[in-house]
Amino acid sequence: MQKNFIQQLHPLTKFFFALFVSASVLIIPGFIFSFLVFPMLLLIAVAAGVAKEFFGTVMKALLFLLIIVFFMQLFFYPGDHLIGQWGIFKWTEEGLNYGLTLTSRILAMGSVFILFFCLTEVRDFVKSLEDAGLPPMGAYVVLSTLQIIPEMRRQANTIMDAQKTRGVETEGSMLTRARAFIPTLTPLILSSISSTEERAITLESRAFSAPTKKTSLHKLTKSTADRILPFIYLIILLGMVLWRILT
Amino acid sequence: MKRSFKDDFNMMSMLLIPIGVAVNIVGFQIANVLRLPIFLDTIGTILIGVVAGPWVALLAGLITNLINGIFNPTYFPYAITSMAIGLGVGYLAKGGMFKNIPKTIISGIVITFIAVIVSAPITVLVFGGATGSTGSLLTATFLASGQKIWSAVFASSFIFEIADKVVSVLIVYFIVRKMSDRYLSKMNYGTLYMKRESNN
Repeated sequence: MQKNFIQQLHPLTKFFFALFVSASVLIIPGFIFSFLVFPMLLLIAVAAGVAKEFFGTVMKALLFLLIIVFFMQLFFYPGDHLIGQWGIFKWTEEGLNYGLTLTSRILAMGSVFILFFCLTEVRDFVKSLEDAGLPPMGAYVVLSTLQIIPEMRRQANTIMDAQKTRGVETEGSMLTRARAFIPTLTPLILSSISSTEERAITLESRAFSAPTKKTSLHKLTKSTADRILPFIYLIILLGMVLWRILT
Repeated sequence: MKRSFKDDFNMMSMLLIPIGVAVNIVGFQIANVLRLPIFLDTIGTILIGVVAGPWVALLAGLITNLINGIFNPTYFPYAITSMAIGLGVGYLAKGGMFKNIPKTIISGIVITFIAVIVSAPITVLVFGGATGSTGSLLTATFLASGQKIWSAVFASSFIFEIADKVVSVLIVYFIVRKMSDRYLSKMNYGTLYMKRESNN
């Protein structure tokens, strides 16, 4: 993808940013700061050109959850200051407060990680972890998992179709549908497992587990911004902690 | 044969992890397509726990939640639950609790307890008691009838988890029984399930 300044930052810089934002909404009390985080993240997303993807994912992943969380706290959080009632539902000031605080924190923390993954390719992130000490096998496990998932989904559909032609019913009562699960899953698992043997041999024949240092074709670079920003995060965070302790 | 912690992580076991994680994710999607009321999102973790041991399963559980979390960060906190399930299954399997159907069902119940005890605090402390899944409806009902948050979450989690986990462990039991001896011999803990007489 065409990379602009923000996307070109080292993955760890962006990851530390996510951690920094998450820590800060936990340190600052109340919900105003936390709610402000989201529009700020949206601005960053626009600047980096991923606004549509970012906003779409946040809506899909978080919106329903946030509504449920808010109303659960509003109605059921233990409190004494009743501010409203409708039929059997009553809401309290404590519930409203807690609801807003919790919702804003979940929104902030959830969306900053969504933003991180919009701005960073998993490949780059895993490479940065490897540079930091993750064993190559760990990197391989994560990357191959991401590759296998769509492959396995396709296979699952194929197997489900194949079983349908053999008379397995996938529609009807719940028991009928449940009976379709094992004939779909079993061939899927067994065939996937038998392919791991082949994969193991392939990796071994390429000296994957040789205990020597490996050079990489894919390199990550650190710019000056990448060196300075983590310290800025830390300083701001310490400032927040001090502010909290002193007031 | 006594196995050390490091022995568990050989090439074959590590290569099972992507499969286990993918099975967790795809299993959940198949259950959705068939509109079944249970999640079936831990079959991979349980399978790995049975044949490759507790620590590999722990890793598989962790990675499942990390990858799910890429698309929806609300899964990140529940990584602890997946890890606990993997660990639990592994140790139960090592103790021979997956060798026949009655023992497997008992394992399923134990796993349910593990899952509920680890996930309920996360649901209450991180999400205030509800995450929008079907369990939340039950939790809300319990709360509306006067229960406090912890007992409501524990009760609704238990009801949903027990069906899911017992079914999942039984599925894994049947799949492991269908695995050939040749394949089981390559797995660290496969000897427990081989059909031919072993020297254990």
